[in-house]
Amino acid sequence: MAHYEASIRRPLITGDKTYADVTRDIAFPVEGPANKQWWLVFTIALIAFLYGIGCITYTISTGIGVWGLNKTVGWAWDITNFVWWVGIGHAGTLISAVLLLFRQKWRMAINRSAEAMTIFSVIQAGLFPIIHMGRPWLAYWVLPIPNQFGSLWVNFNSPLLWDVFAISTYLSVSLVFWWTGLLPDFAMIRDRAITPFNKKIYGILSFGWSGRAKDWQRFEEVSLVLAGLATPLVLSVHTIVSFDFATSVIPGWHTTIFPPYFVAGAVFSGFAMVNTLLIVMRKVCHLENYITIQHIELMNLVIMITGSIVGVAYITELFMAWYSGVEYEQYAFLNRATGPYAWAYWSMMTCNVFSPQFMWFKKLRTSIVFSFAISIVVNIGMWFERFVIIVTSLHRDYIPSSWTMFSPTFVDIGIFIGTIGFFFVLFLLYARTFPVIAQAEVKSILRSSGNKYKEMRENQPTSNQNAASGDPMAHPSE
Amino acid sequence: MATTKKYWKSTAQLDSSNEMIKNLEQNEFAAAVPTDEFLGNDKAMESSSTSRRDFLKYVGFSTAAASLAACEGPVIHSVPYVNQPESIIPGIANYYATTIADGYDFASVLVRTREGRPIKIEGNRDIAARGNANARVHASVLGLYDNNRLKTPLVKGKESTWATLDKEVRQQLNANAGKQIVFLTQTFASPSIAKLMEQFKAAYPNVRQVTYDTIGEDAALDAFEAKYFSRGLADYDFEDAECIVSVGADFVGDWQGGGFDTNYAQSRVPKNGKMSHHIQFESNMSLSGANADRRYPVTPTEQKQIIAALYSKVAGGSANSSLSDKVSKAVEEAAQKLRRAGSKGVVLCGLPDQGAQQLVLEMNERLGSTIMDTTNPILTRQGSRSAVNQLVKDMESGSVGAVFVAGVDPVYSYDGSDAFAKAWKKVPLKVSFASRLDATAEQSDYVATTPHYLESWGDVEMKKGTVSLMQPTIKPLFDTRQFQDSLLKWSGSDITYKDYLKDSSVANGSSWNQSLQDGFYTASFSETLGGEVQVPNINNASALRDLSAAATNGGYELVLYTKTAMGDGTQANNPWLQELPDPITRTTWDNYITISPKDAEKLEIENYNVANGALDGSYAIVKMNGVERKIPAIIQPGQAVGTIGLALGYGRTAGIQEEMQTGVNAFPFFKDGISVQSVSVEAAGGVHEFACTQLQNTMMGRDIIRETDMATYLTGNKDNFNPMPEVSLNHIETPVTSPDVDLWESFDRSVGHHFNMSIDLNACTGCGACVVACHAENNVPVVGKMEVRRSRDMHWLRIDRYYSSTDSFEDDEAKKDGFSGLFGENGSLGGFGELEIPADEPQVAFMPVMCQHCNHAPCETVCPVAASSHSRQGQNHMIYNRCVGTRYCANNCPYKVRRFNWFLYNGNDEFDYHMNNDLGRMVINPDVTVRSRGVMEKCSLCIQMTQMTILEAKKDGRMIKDGEFATACSNACYNGAISFGDINDKASEIYKVKQQDRMYHLLEEVGTEPNVMYQVKVRNYNN
Repeated sequence: MAHYEASIRRPLITGDKTYADVTRDIAFPVEGPANKQWWLVFTIALIAFLYGIGCITYTISTGIGVWGLNKTVGWAWDITNFVWWVGIGHAGTLISAVLLLFRQKWRMAINRSAEAMTIFSVIQAGLFPIIHMGRPWLAYWVLPIPNQFGSLWVNFNSPLLWDVFAISTYLSVSLVFWWTGLLPDFAMIRDRAITPFNKKIYGILSFGWSGRAKDWQRFEEVSLVLAGLATPLVLSVHTIVSFDFATSVIPGWHTTIFPPYFVAGAVFSGFAMVNTLLIVMRKVCHLENYITIQHIELMNLVIMITGSIVGVAYITELFMAWYSGVEYEQYAFLNRATGPYAWAYWSMMTCNVFSPQFMWFKKLRTSIVFSFAISIVVNIGMWFERFVIIVTSLHRDYIPSSWTMFSPTFVDIGIFIGTIGFFFVLFLLYARTFPVIAQAEVKSILRSSGNKYKEMRENQPTSNQNAASGDPMAHPSE
Repeated sequence: MATTKKYWKSTAQLDSSNEMIKNLEQNEFAAAVPTDEFLGNDKAMESSSTSRRDFLKYVGFSTAAASLAACEGPVIHSVPYVNQPESIIPGIANYYATTIADGYDFASVLVRTREGRPIKIEGNRDIAARGNANARVHASVLGLYDNNRLKTPLVKGKESTWATLDKEVRQQLNANAGKQIVFLTQTFASPSIAKLMEQFKAAYPNVRQVTYDTIGEDAALDAFEAKYFSRGLADYDFEDAECIVSVGADFVGDWQGGGFDTNYAQSRVPKNGKMSHHIQFESNMSLSGANADRRYPVTPTEQKQIIAALYSKVAGGSANSSLSDKVSKAVEEAAQKLRRAGSKGVVLCGLPDQGAQQLVLEMNERLGSTIMDTTNPILTRQGSRSAVNQLVKDMESGSVGAVFVAGVDPVYSYDGSDAFAKAWKKVPLKVSFASRLDATAEQSDYVATTPHYLESWGDVEMKKGTVSLMQPTIKPLFDTRQFQDSLLKWSGSDITYKDYLKDSSVANGSSWNQSLQDGFYTASFSETLGGEVQVPNINNASALRDLSAAATNGGYELVLYTKTAMGDGTQANNPWLQELPDPITRTTWDNYITISPKDAEKLEIENYNVANGALDGSYAIVKMNGVERKIPAIIQPGQAVGTIGLALGYGRTAGIQEEMQTGVNAFPFFKDGISVQSVSVEAAGGVHEFACTQLQNTMMGRDIIRETDMATYLTGNKDNFNPMPEVSLNHIETPVTSPDVDLWESFDRSVGHHFNMSIDLNACTGCGACVVACHAENNVPVVGKMEVRRSRDMHWLRIDRYYSSTDSFEDDEAKKDGFSGLFGENGSLGGFGELEIPADEPQVAFMPVMCQHCNHAPCETVCPVAASSHSRQGQNHMIYNRCVGTRYCANNCPYKVRRFNWFLYNGNDEFDYHMNNDLGRMVINPDVTVRSRGVMEKCSLCIQMTQMTILEAKKDGRMIKDGEFATACSNACYNGAISFGDINDKASEIYKVKQQDRMYHLLEEVGTEPNVMYQVKVRNYNN
């Protein structure tokens, strides 16, 4: 199965890793005890999560009034956070599905965690449309469930309803895709498990994976089919999220550029978040040989490109505002750049358009510290992008008498922190219980792209003297 | 229903001789029931442990248990009428005509009662003479259900009975009969009370009545009395006015009791190519100044000189004024226009100066003004400040034996209040007629608790010749007694005031019942007022001399005024009024000094918006010999430099709820009842938090309020003053209303009713009556100061007020259109920033905005659960039950008229207003749902009212006549700015209005196709 890979390509797996090493390295975080740092970070995340739950409980029991919203600005941090988390969720599917279809093998080291991130962030995102409702206990009314309320049915004209479908589809397809990939890896852990409890649990999680050829064949087929299904979702989810704004009549929202602009922004922020997480994870879980500088560099390139697309979109928006000749539109964008929220606009511009341009420099894009810093900056910038779109468009729209400002309360902030906490609680638990790298897939490229095998191949004479005895690389000396 | 049908069960029945069938037909059970076998088996019966007695016990117990269990759950005691009153039909409203006369507001009103509860006040449109229901009158129904009202009479501060109070008061009255007995009362303007006082004087000869207007009109009254020999105020009917020159008179607001705005508004609507021309000279920015065609901010001192200069030009005489060129020119122009208007011209004056008032009366006489009416004067202000001052002196000297205070609160409102309070303590018998424990009642020996006017009888002669009647609309809620009844009782009479009133009412040709039903009767009285004139006439020449020589003594001139919402503060405990935004500053729950931008800069007084948009401002210290107060300051465009304004009526603390104890008491500055005072102002430390409902004050040069001038309007070319917005369709400019550029498929709207509303921006004065009416009709919650500050006011109907950023709105638009590029002198970057700031002397415009009921509503498409949907009748429905509260609709509303229930506003201690106590909840309109938290709400075009009209007509089997359809706001708008009706009725008024050239829709270019339309505002510069 090993393709020949040109020797000028850098190895995707560095270090002298053998198949057994891969197994050991990837099973290690699951099988070993948690260290102090893990407990520390987990405790912090848990506290943040519990604080968020407190804030949500307070909101639901008292009313949305505990947030900073008002008659003019009906959405602010709630939908900003929603779009931000959905955006982050985009990298996972892109990496696992689109890159699978494009046969980008470097995805194999990162797709598992990227998809985990996707699922966990979509969970965070899904929280907001529910809790931002004035009466969240009636949230099920947005589902087209047959009911006895009379002729009441959902309104298929509403982009919010499309959101419901888009997000739930995305979550389910991502989850299935993720789990499918996990099956052989769970089976690996099951097989290595020492305690009956672990064996039982991983046995259940792996859905009785047997490792037969038929299993593998079906595995490959399902992966391909799901990749095909998930690929349009990468484009559709954020397109539909952008419809929330694009189909409205509010200057600054009513923009046809939104779908591609939102998708680019989502990929942008998603990759940044993957970078944030993996740069830490590769260190903590000693996975530097799997998630290499090359991986980080490639992701930085994606960040640079999508960041530039987003930058072009920002400038196009300004151009269109001017070119449209609509005074409300023109003022909306002028106000973004120079009004009371200009600080948010320029934070966004700096973080999203300016900072990724550093990636043109090889030295910077291969620097781990710098990459980490930029990934954080990009995530901040993308949060501001949504804040700018939502709040600065709403706070000054058509009728000047209704213009006002928005200022968050501790509850707004608390819920956002809570979702970050929740996300990390999930991710940290995942890092301790799930194989964080798709080891089955990595093993499939070990021979073609592993450092050890590449070197072995290069050291071999071109005419294979031991052809009769088979491939010597199949059984490298351990 | 009994039936004789026979149902066949089998063919065997055909055979009548069949034994078996016979048998079956006669016996219920085919086989014999073995009762004997069961009962006869003694052994089995005896061995059973359940005896017959036990069995009955069990049956009894289980029946009792079952019925007890069924009794659980909330028990609501609703007591049915023993005799169903003929007039009360559950679900059907009854209307009664009555009259409010609280000493400040006088109006003939209709009261809507539901199941015996008064729930809404409307103006009585049948009465021709005065009596408009303003915002405060509309709100007064809530005062009936005020939790802070006194519930029993008080004797020495303790709850008591009427018997005790009567006994003790009469005892003390007799004991102090040797001294003066004084009635210190509001202006009642009541013929029956005047008679009653005479009767009381018969019983106690040394009785004296002193009339005290909390905010008096002494100068105008004195001038009128000196000139026309009776104590009253000239009435004005502006309907036919061609030129109105007002010097410091806020006649659109509450000047001389208010109520002039209806006819004024009529004169403002261009008819037959004519409308009035209004010139306003004033210090504070008032409603009148805001509505004027030309407004000149001038100090009160300059106003005096203006009166002098104007007089010399209109009536002759010489006046050497030191007025600036601009103002002199304006006066010259005003005089010219007045002369041109002749008898259709009128001059008004708001200066607290008898000489000035006299000159103005004289000027109107010289003009032969038909606008002014002096034969039937207004009688709603009759107080005499000098008499009150004399009373205070008498009390101080100890010559007063008893004082009865009715309808006024002098301890709060008499300037300095200490002076009155000190003297008050020396009176042996202090009796207060009050409905709450106000500052005076607190310090009285006896409080004879009075009912609300909706529980009272009475009569009021607001304008000579017409008497309005007051009748109870509900049985007194508490153990209260009217002032008049007490008077009758103490004078030894044993008839009730109701009978007394009936006997003393002499109507011209209409029965008592008819008068009561109408709410008024006309009568010709013999001269009952002002028998001898006590006021010296001031020589016109000397008045002219004094006025033209008027000068300031440095410092600032403080101009005290009253706010539309609060008036003199009688209704300070009314949350509707506290939350009603001031029409000019749009600030709620507060009073403050208004200061001109120039002076503010000089004094380093700042106003700025904080992070959530709310307005913060500096404090200022205002000093006036001995009085010093720290008062927040609002920078008021249009305020005359060198003057500050301050509203009276705030700062009450006695007998009202803590939340309503807002603002600063300005009465200490109201020295001798004079509204203009010389003060010094300096900045003080600290930051005050204002609660404004509008934070952006200019229109940014946008096409929101369409304006034009008379000259352009008269060209008759609609494109000049009311162009239809166009979009390009295949490079052809197409009107946005054209179906070719419409993305939507419309359904047929020509069948059935289709409601439209029109708002005439010329007739709207910004008075706010509609806002309160909407509040009352639709159970709109009050949210309190902090929530308003967070931009969460719930008003379904708001009146936007815009200042121009340059000299006029037209210039604003020209400036915006002139922007070129981003930078530089005409750059939009700096330009829009400039447009945000109002001019120092701006034009002002008002625009009532409620849900526009778009036929292509942006809110309807975005709701995921279809809680916002359109009706066949044009209304945009908000279905509260279905709403899940995503707020998407509010975001997508270009008009920003949707209001969200951020919290539970009823039955929630955090919002301790009328919806949080059983008494206050009685005002709730049962036809309208009280919204829960988490749902969106907004104007429904009063669907409960239109549906009622439709149902009534359907029941009667008739067509609906034009004018039957109404909303709370269109009913409340006595100025005729809001009209409402069925656009499918081609004969209707609304249909005609829609065809007018001035008609436009707000934000037409968005393509929302609203069912609310506006009429272009026309200004008559009269060049």
